[in-house]
Amino acid sequence: MRVFEALAKIDRKIIFLILAVVIIVPLIKPIGLISKASTRAKAVFDAVESIPPGKPLMISIDFDPGSMPELYPMLLAILRHAFARDVKVIVLGLWLTGMGLGEQALTTVASEYSKKYGVDYVFLGWRSGVLPVVLGMGEDIKKTFPTDYYGTPLESLAMMSNIRNYRDIPFFISLSAGDPGMNTWIAYAQARYGLKMGAGTTAVSAADAYPYLQTGQLTGLLGGMKGAAEYEFLVKERGYSKEISQATQAMDSQSLAHLLILILIVLGNIGYLFIRKQTKKLGGAR
Amino acid sequence: MNLATSFWTWFGAFLTFCIFSFLYKDNPFYKFAEHLFVGVSVGYSISISYHNVLYPDLIVPLFRNGELLNLVPLIFGLCYFTRFLPKVSWLVRLPMGLVLGFGAGAAIPAVIQASIIKQVQGAILTPDVFKRFDLTVWALISLIGVICTVTYFFFSRERGKVTKVMADLGIIFLMVGFGASFGYTVMARISLLIGRFQFLLRDWLGVIK
Repeated sequence: MRVFEALAKIDRKIIFLILAVVIIVPLIKPIGLISKASTRAKAVFDAVESIPPGKPLMISIDFDPGSMPELYPMLLAILRHAFARDVKVIVLGLWLTGMGLGEQALTTVASEYSKKYGVDYVFLGWRSGVLPVVLGMGEDIKKTFPTDYYGTPLESLAMMSNIRNYRDIPFFISLSAGDPGMNTWIAYAQARYGLKMGAGTTAVSAADAYPYLQTGQLTGLLGGMKGAAEYEFLVKERGYSKEISQATQAMDSQSLAHLLILILIVLGNIGYLFIRKQTKKLGGAR
Repeated sequence: MNLATSFWTWFGAFLTFCIFSFLYKDNPFYKFAEHLFVGVSVGYSISISYHNVLYPDLIVPLFRNGELLNLVPLIFGLCYFTRFLPKVSWLVRLPMGLVLGFGAGAAIPAVIQASIIKQVQGAILTPDVFKRFDLTVWALISLIGVICTVTYFFFSRERGKVTKVMADLGIIFLMVGFGASFGYTVMARISLLIGRFQFLLRDWLGVIK
């Protein structure tokens, strides 16, 4: 009885401390728990893999620094995959506060693969008004984005000369932390223009994406940090990158933290049931 | 250990600890970091909006190139600020009406197509589904789930024996859905915490690569 009472009254600060230890230790001393790619992640990978070299992959940064640990590793892994295969990359975003992350990722990965701006990749940046942007690009990307993020006219960028609208984009990925994001692209670009697309979402919104997978509206899905680790695994497995994989590095901590939470949920419930049973007994005796 | 030399990395670490201090209790350090975050976000948004939208799309065409047609969106945009002038505050309805009208017109058919028609199609059993045993099983579970859950939300008539069983089954499907969402939410929150620890251990302390 006392044990269960004590368990039910653990100070939350102690739980925070245990959680911190469980996360920090595997980051310093990795255990190497096995991580494999799911069919959903493999579908996104295969779609990027099927883009012929020289053709563009479009990525939308629909997140901000608040979701960086989950979605930024996805962005890095996808960019490495595309650049390693000489696939051109167009990056834009529906979240204004994500633009700095987009620029940082492009600059980092482009230098790893010696890619040139305007020839191998273009950063369109952000434009106000979500619907006019998504719908407008279905008609003409250059009219929607007359200039790129740096103010350079799109007409003057060699890479954009043969790209007019979604018909010229073989595959699109929305890295989405909410709205506007994956749902916006599905409703206005996929449903209306038939844009073939995949999504990388925060774990919170991953469950909402499954219905779109079943109907084929989404080709594949990367869900949360685990999805990012799966993509990193595939990119490394094919030998496209040897860089440190942030999400893969975090998987040991993630798994152990989940285990701890499971144990706490089970203990908490056992304690609750035991105390309730005892209280009922005492009540009955009176 | 390879401590960071950049002031901004140290400042980032300091702000991280300020936010973590809320786990103990609300305090001035947490308040400072919170207000700084809000202020920087707004300032960044205003700056990007000016340089990426107002300047190239309005100021240059209107004041430099003399394209007077741009006066129309300028006037519509300025109408938003009439909320601060009680006598003409009704003018705010003009841009609001335009935005709502466009939004509804564009959204209704798109959302019906993407979220209702396609989902109904997805729930219908097609001959392809019966080509593989596992696909058949999942498609049947999905179909039963859809029907039972929709039955649970049918309130126009008193439930009979059959519809009550279906509605109860619908609750189970709903609970499974909520459980999946909760599981993913736990994963998301832990991921964010790991991200902060990675920053502290890698970028600040240089303990990990």
